[in-house]
Amino acid sequence: MKQKLTWMLTPLLVLFITFSYAQEKTVTGVVTDQSGLPLPGVSVVVVGTTNGSQTDFDGNYAVNVNQGGKLKFSYLGQKTVTMTVGASNTINVQLEEDAEALEEVIVTGQGSGIALRKLSTTVDVLNSEDIDKLPANQIDQLLQSTAPSAQVRLSSGQPGTAAIIRTRGPISAASSGTPVVIIDGIRVDNLNSNPQLGIGTGGANVSALADIPMESIERIEYIKGGAATTLYGADAANGIIQIITKKGKDGKSSAYFESSVGAIKATEDFLKYDRTAEAIFQPGWSQQYRVGLSGGSDKFSYNFGGSLYKDDSYNDINEQIRRTFTFGLTARVTDKLRYQGSFSYVNFESNLDYNANTSFSRFSGLEGSARGATDEFTDAEWQDELARYKKIGQLVDISSTTNRFTASNKFIYDVNENFQVNATIGIDNRNTVQEELLSNALQVELGTIAEGTTDQGELTRVLRSAFTVTTDLNLTHKAYTDNFSFVSILGGQFFRSSDRQNRLEGSGGVDGTRSLNNFSEQVFSDFVLENANYGLYFLENVGIYDVAFLEFGGRLDKTTVSGSNTSPLLLPKVGITYNLSDHDFYQDAGISNTISTIKLRANYGEATNFAQPFDQDRTFAQNPFLGSPSFTFDNPGNDELVSERVKTIEFGLELGFFRDRLSFSGTRFIGVTEDALFTPQSAPSSGQLNQIQNIGEVENKGYEFALTATPIQTGKHSLSFNLSYNTVDNLVTDSGGAPPFVVGGFTVLGSVVEEGQSLGYLRGTAAILQDDGSYAFEANTALGDTFAPNFGSMGLNYTYGDFNFFATADYQFGGSITDLSFLLRHLRGTDDTGIPEELIGATSPFNYVNFFVFDSDYLKIRNIGASYNFGDIAKPLFSNIRLSATVTNPFNWTAGNFDPETTGSGISAQNGFASGGFAYGTESAPRTYIASLRFEF
Amino acid sequence: MKKIILFSTAILIFGCTGDFGDVVNYKDVQNPNLSEESVVGQPNSASIWLTGLERQLANVFNETLVLSELGSDNYVNTQTFFNQFMDQLLIQITDPDMRDTQRQIQRLRELALFGLEKVGPGDPNYNGETEAEFNYFEGLSYLFSGMYFSALPQEPVGVPISSVEHYENAIIAIDAAIAINAKPEYYLAKARANYYLGNKSEAVIAATAALSLDGSFDRIAQFDESNGPSNTFEDALYERATFDDLQPLPTLDFLDPKYSFLTPNEDAPVHYLKAEEAYLILAEAGLADNDIVAARENLTALLDLIASREVRNIDDSIEQRSQVDEGSRPDNASVIVDGRPGLVLDRQNGNVDIPSVSGTSLTFEDISTMQDNDAGLSMLYRTRQEVFIAEGLRMVDMGVKLVIDENEILINENINEGDLGTTAVIPPFISTIVVDLDAFTYDKAAGVANTLINLNDVLVSNKNSDQVVPFE
Repeated sequence: MKQKLTWMLTPLLVLFITFSYAQEKTVTGVVTDQSGLPLPGVSVVVVGTTNGSQTDFDGNYAVNVNQGGKLKFSYLGQKTVTMTVGASNTINVQLEEDAEALEEVIVTGQGSGIALRKLSTTVDVLNSEDIDKLPANQIDQLLQSTAPSAQVRLSSGQPGTAAIIRTRGPISAASSGTPVVIIDGIRVDNLNSNPQLGIGTGGANVSALADIPMESIERIEYIKGGAATTLYGADAANGIIQIITKKGKDGKSSAYFESSVGAIKATEDFLKYDRTAEAIFQPGWSQQYRVGLSGGSDKFSYNFGGSLYKDDSYNDINEQIRRTFTFGLTARVTDKLRYQGSFSYVNFESNLDYNANTSFSRFSGLEGSARGATDEFTDAEWQDELARYKKIGQLVDISSTTNRFTASNKFIYDVNENFQVNATIGIDNRNTVQEELLSNALQVELGTIAEGTTDQGELTRVLRSAFTVTTDLNLTHKAYTDNFSFVSILGGQFFRSSDRQNRLEGSGGVDGTRSLNNFSEQVFSDFVLENANYGLYFLENVGIYDVAFLEFGGRLDKTTVSGSNTSPLLLPKVGITYNLSDHDFYQDAGISNTISTIKLRANYGEATNFAQPFDQDRTFAQNPFLGSPSFTFDNPGNDELVSERVKTIEFGLELGFFRDRLSFSGTRFIGVTEDALFTPQSAPSSGQLNQIQNIGEVENKGYEFALTATPIQTGKHSLSFNLSYNTVDNLVTDSGGAPPFVVGGFTVLGSVVEEGQSLGYLRGTAAILQDDGSYAFEANTALGDTFAPNFGSMGLNYTYGDFNFFATADYQFGGSITDLSFLLRHLRGTDDTGIPEELIGATSPFNYVNFFVFDSDYLKIRNIGASYNFGDIAKPLFSNIRLSATVTNPFNWTAGNFDPETTGSGISAQNGFASGGFAYGTESAPRTYIASLRFEF
Repeated sequence: MKKIILFSTAILIFGCTGDFGDVVNYKDVQNPNLSEESVVGQPNSASIWLTGLERQLANVFNETLVLSELGSDNYVNTQTFFNQFMDQLLIQITDPDMRDTQRQIQRLRELALFGLEKVGPGDPNYNGETEAEFNYFEGLSYLFSGMYFSALPQEPVGVPISSVEHYENAIIAIDAAIAINAKPEYYLAKARANYYLGNKSEAVIAATAALSLDGSFDRIAQFDESNGPSNTFEDALYERATFDDLQPLPTLDFLDPKYSFLTPNEDAPVHYLKAEEAYLILAEAGLADNDIVAARENLTALLDLIASREVRNIDDSIEQRSQVDEGSRPDNASVIVDGRPGLVLDRQNGNVDIPSVSGTSLTFEDISTMQDNDAGLSMLYRTRQEVFIAEGLRMVDMGVKLVIDENEILINENINEGDLGTTAVIPPFISTIVVDLDAFTYDKAAGVANTLINLNDVLVSNKNSDQVVPFE
């Protein structure tokens, strides 16, 4: 392969061979670490220029430089060394470890960041290397199987659709559980469901997570809630995904160009009928081009990334296009003032098929045998049917275009060495236009209007503009005595979000237009959400002999989403960390060779979720009715409405063995959601709508275990594994006397909130076999928990020299899910699998829904990939060429014969609950085979 | 220098005024929706509130029609979209349709009362006509409570009161409306309440009063196709087209679909209080009084009226009888049902004529040969069934009652499971034939279909029951 590539690149090299070199001399050498081992990847820069090089795998470098010039050697975690070039052509350098720099610093939301070892909470971190390796286009796809304690469930294979993301169980009946997303300190739109007025495609909908900028990410911190999120305040109880973008580094300028091509093939493992694939599926291609530039000096550094992506999906109609560019910069304005700025733009265009819970859906129609079981059709019948589905596919027209701008500005002022002021201000603006054209031709084909009708076309357009401004000002002070250290943070944060939606509908139109002006009947509706949140926070981290750390602080939080009779909430946090293995006596003891790290930690913290803006107000509605205004009652209102508050207590242990070649992390957490926001049914006799109230209590208890092992780490070989296992025991401990209420699913088989049960458990009428052989029908039977209480991920990484191989997987077990396609087939009389004969036809299938609920266990291999760095074979044109190949979603093992992830219709409406308890009517995430070639300059 | 200082100070002071504060004040949010002050106490709010009641009535019919038509022999549900239980008369407190039906009827009451107590008195332009309508809608909410439920609270989380009391309260509220501004439909609503109470003479008086005001009145509930609520029953019968959700009993095929596409902004209305009902009440009272002449006169007048009602010529070719098994139900004009020709239309052969207000197979000849006997009464009930198809009366005529919703039972301290209203009421002579209600045999080749039972005969043979045929 290497030979072949070299051969392929030869013509290119020829073009550049005539380039003349500067007449400096070439200095070579080896860079080693403290223990004398060669250090690959060390940046070697000619000071005052942008010339430079990097050390290869054996620590060797070569650089052209004039005598008397200076070479700067820098590497993460090592102290930077500058050498003056003398007469010798060889300069060997030994770098020294920089203990402070090696400490992983966590951004912690506010302040200037705190070293990981001082924190009592855990954070899942992905660095740029992890991110670059995966072909994911969406943040949820990236986190899946890489964030050890996150549960990420891809709800549909259609482009841009949302995943259900959770960590420590379902904490709220009033939110989808999607974490807050923060990019460089700025909150961004994270709407993970269809907007309130969004176009109903039946189930799977385009999510804001699909257009979170993925270019130039330096690192992602996944903060799971509890004490770790206290300082973030409002709405952070579901956790935080914090994205820090690249801003360039002092050192050599670099650039890359990457081209990827891929094949996309539908996952057919779960189809009931082979003919479904024949009707809809069609392998597609993906293409992506990416470029990146970065560089800078100690005064100014920059990073630019841009990409263009397109795929035409695994079926006959879906397509997605993504265009992004992003840049980040750091400037040292004065000795004391630094400025960091970042900006990103994402354009995302996609289209959807109808799916899940709409009778227009081809996939659910086929799999649910809406027009009969296709495996029983004669070939001739099937050809007619096939032609019908193909025609419908060509006429389906649901599109979504999003433009998102995110900008962050951060000012860092060092008053002195120990006192820093940070100010951040930034915005996120995400504008989406959804359009659905239901042409006369499509309606005729679907059979909803008579053949020959030409004036009943419909066009719906939904405009949504989400805007968030975030500002933050904080002071960080550090102080040291002989035995103690103090980090103090005091700050204030403010953010304001608005969500404005307009839905415009035209009906009574002819085909051939996309202008609403051309429709005989036009109606519109609007929807506005607006909220302002502000909080003051402080944090004190006290180091005791540099081994134990006591942390305490809190946030005083106020949001406009609260009733008039409420006051701001005070959210406290306290934590303690003890790094036993950092004691000198321990390090001197023999046992430290075996157990190299022992860290104990405990903490308590509170975080909140607020209700939907304006839910606290009593309102009336004025609806248009046949051209006249009409009044009616609207929201009943609640003066006492406050954010729900999640109180989490956490204990943890970190162990490292054999110089941390084997490391283990264990956490016990108990999270209690108090004043939980429940929206039970109002008494029907009141005639009023349901009102959200702080009446519930939800408890989530569990363990999080993560293991990382590096059994092989020799000169060129490195092999590591990681495995995580998490449990969550979820219970609604109090429903405030409210009757059980449905938060998802369907009328007679719902995802229900009920005291004494798991949040969103499945409930329906079960047929129970009696001793005499008859069946008793028991209404309101608990049929299983929608949230799998056991889950985790695993991975393998193998490196041999320039070759890397990796694989990731995730799994869950213990949960339940409804196979709704099966239920539909049964209702239509085409599938009685496993249903007792006595029941078939004797009563409504909704009286024996227990036969449609199955285990949601699965193990899925998400990614298998390999890459090879060819190094400087194409010198001087390219400093490195990397070839990589990845397969996503190649293998699945599931308990049932359907995909328990495809819960397109299980993601509730905006600000609703995502139960994920109903597998139905949408395609699984496809298999992709991607090869990419990256040229580094 | 002084000037400069003054000027600079002025600039600074101006800069500190509140006006600029708006630039950095991001804390205020404004709920764009209406508060109570924007509604109560405003001129013309009462008439807008009244339109709200008309709209709410549409919501009521969107719940009651599907349940009551499926719960009767009129329609069977062959798909999954609408209620899955009522065909088998599985009337359960856990069925969310029970909840929604109850809620919409009680919301109608709450809106009417708020109109009478708050909105009306606060509106300087409030008039008697509007006040009468508020009373009328209050009465309708009680009328529906009595028709569809054996017991239901009459105030938020109140004590459930019986169907009889609801009818009585309906009469009181409607009398209040009549006292202010008499309209024929008010009298008919009163006649209907009295009819189901078995108060023959009061029913006759009210029905006669209604017809004396207008012999062809027709009060409708309208639906807004573009802004909603659209007519759910029209979806079930027509708009969902090939899904062929609800299928009529073959004897009623010629009356289906009563609701079809009207305009892009208005859906077909429900003719819920129309003069036909007054004639039918008078005819039934005639039979009960052994006055066959009066019965014949009223039925003749009924036929004359029906002849004047709108018949729509529509393309119903997408109806396949049915989608799941095409041609499994009678679908052409040559089919003879229960020995009677002409009841089934050929929908694949051009447009069909469907009555949109009232239709019947009753003929003048039938009337002239009609006798004061069970066969005559059965024919009258058949006519009621035909005239009121898709209007939610058939299930009431069958004596079937829905149940109070589970949530109400759990929240309302005045109700316990097992109380009146919490268990379904199905007359014994109906519960034994539930599976046959929508059943028929069909010999496609011979073009002959026969329903398994004739429910009108069943009702008449049980006329002495308290639950059906109220005048007997």
